[in-house]
Amino acid sequence: MAPVIDIKNITKEFKVLNRREGLAGSIKDLFSRDYKIVKAVDNITMSIDQGEIVGYLGPNGAGKSTTIKMMTGVLEPTSGEILVNGKLPYKNRSKNAQNIGVVFGQRSQLWWALPLVESFKLLKDIYQISDEQYDSMMKLYQSLVDIEPLLHKPVRQMSLGQRTLSDILAAFLHNPKIVFLDEPTIGLDVSMKAKIRTLIHALNKEKNTTVILTTHDMGDVDALCQRIVIIDKGKMLYDNDILHLKGFFGSYRTLKIRVDGNLKKASEEISKEFPSLKVTADDEWISILVDEDKITVMEVLTKLQKERRVRDMQLEEISTEDVIKKIYEEGVK
Amino acid sequence: MNLKKYLSLTRAGIMESLQFRMSTVIIFVGNLLYLIVVYFLWKAIYASSGQEVVNGMTFSDTLIYLVLATALFNFMEMYAVWEIGRAIQSGKIVLDLIKPMKYRTYLFWSYSGSFVVNFFATLFPTFIVVCFVTHGAIPLGLNLLYFVISVVLAVMINYNIDFFVGTICLYTESIWGINIMKQVIVLLLSGATIPIAFFPETIRNIVYYLPFQSIYNAPLTLLLGKSPELKDTAIVIGTQLIWFLITYAISRLFWKISLPQITVNGG
Repeated sequence: MAPVIDIKNITKEFKVLNRREGLAGSIKDLFSRDYKIVKAVDNITMSIDQGEIVGYLGPNGAGKSTTIKMMTGVLEPTSGEILVNGKLPYKNRSKNAQNIGVVFGQRSQLWWALPLVESFKLLKDIYQISDEQYDSMMKLYQSLVDIEPLLHKPVRQMSLGQRTLSDILAAFLHNPKIVFLDEPTIGLDVSMKAKIRTLIHALNKEKNTTVILTTHDMGDVDALCQRIVIIDKGKMLYDNDILHLKGFFGSYRTLKIRVDGNLKKASEEISKEFPSLKVTADDEWISILVDEDKITVMEVLTKLQKERRVRDMQLEEISTEDVIKKIYEEGVK
Repeated sequence: MNLKKYLSLTRAGIMESLQFRMSTVIIFVGNLLYLIVVYFLWKAIYASSGQEVVNGMTFSDTLIYLVLATALFNFMEMYAVWEIGRAIQSGKIVLDLIKPMKYRTYLFWSYSGSFVVNFFATLFPTFIVVCFVTHGAIPLGLNLLYFVISVVLAVMINYNIDFFVGTICLYTESIWGINIMKQVIVLLLSGATIPIAFFPETIRNIVYYLPFQSIYNAPLTLLLGKSPELKDTAIVIGTQLIWFLITYAISRLFWKISLPQITVNGG
């Protein structure tokens, strides 16, 4: 079967004016022709099949949104080829729209002043959804989440979690082949995050919808994605399944401690005690990156406590940013 | 079947406008204050001229014209420049662009609901009041039909100009100055703030060759025209039609070549 999204060597460049400093600089800028070319996306190739959930990761400004905008047809790639459902998305934006749904975690496509059900009815007409399909979709939604109290609530009165949930339902309403979720769990509490993950998972299973998920939350990735693509500075760093990725960072954790006295000095001492570990200190914490394959966090902590009084401690799972940093520094093994 | 998706947007627009009752009241009061200022300003102008008829218009002619122009302004003004500019700045435009509808169509129909509400909230009541107070300053006949056709064209010309100016925001990424400039130019050159009869002759001749007078001057001329000759009416509406086609083509082309400029960041 042909992939739903097929991207070959796409690059997107932006022309940015080189700004100068100060008032005089700003005035000079008015007449400046001094542009620099910024490569937001640099030679990316991937293909995604129907029904996959792909985690699309990378630090802020890595080029994720730019890639998504090219897949939705809002932006045209500078070079390379991109096919969505076998068509060029930027040439057929209105047609492509029937096949895609989008949720941006920080903004809403819903009609702000109206009850949710009105937005749904409007989308039904705009996307020309048949009555049967609409009804069956609503039934499905009802079985997945408690949608009834939301339907008659104006969107502006909703909590962020309710609004995000509604936005996701709205994006799936016309049963698109692909749904792009851009940081859907940003700013949500733990229980809402879990609810939204369950919903996305269920909709993907039920409708075999391809989901492209951008997030900074490893919990989202763990709960949903089989496959992960990581980019940074526009370049593709990693494209493989999640197990493979876990193999490379799963055993790392960051131990943070606070001790009496000068933290900088203490961190140097710890560094000597454990020459194999990376120890850094800031004003509040001493951070120790522990590779649990070699030594457990408990062992480190016991040893530390023998020498000094540990006043406080925190254990941090490695974050997406850390994995990416690690991949970026060491390359993919 | 196809029309349904547009009317659905109209319906939502009406509902959305009706949510904001206070804003309707405030607009109403604001207009009243504006009209009071207009009344005294023109009263002073006529008093100082010492003549009954200035530039072929009596005081009450001028006042009726300006009251109707204000009502028409409130009916037509859609703040599309704001909407486009804000959508570009916030990045929300991405969500609008991926609707299965052209953005300019989508935006127009999103506004259409407010036309309906504004018609019943401002234009129609003003019309009735003017009719009663002046006892026949507005002839009731075929001119009403011409007026409706003319207003529809005016709305679309106004939208094309708004859309054109809104597109400039893709380059400047700022709205305020552009919007103010557009508003001043349109309101002045369209005859919405000063009847075109009061312009000096050279400027008046230039203004007749610009699209702006098709927005306010044209429909009001047809509405107030005492003895509408069919030929004159045809010229006015024909001019509007030509301007509609020209502004449509230009704003559409400009949007098309500008859209690749989009550089919304984040999200």
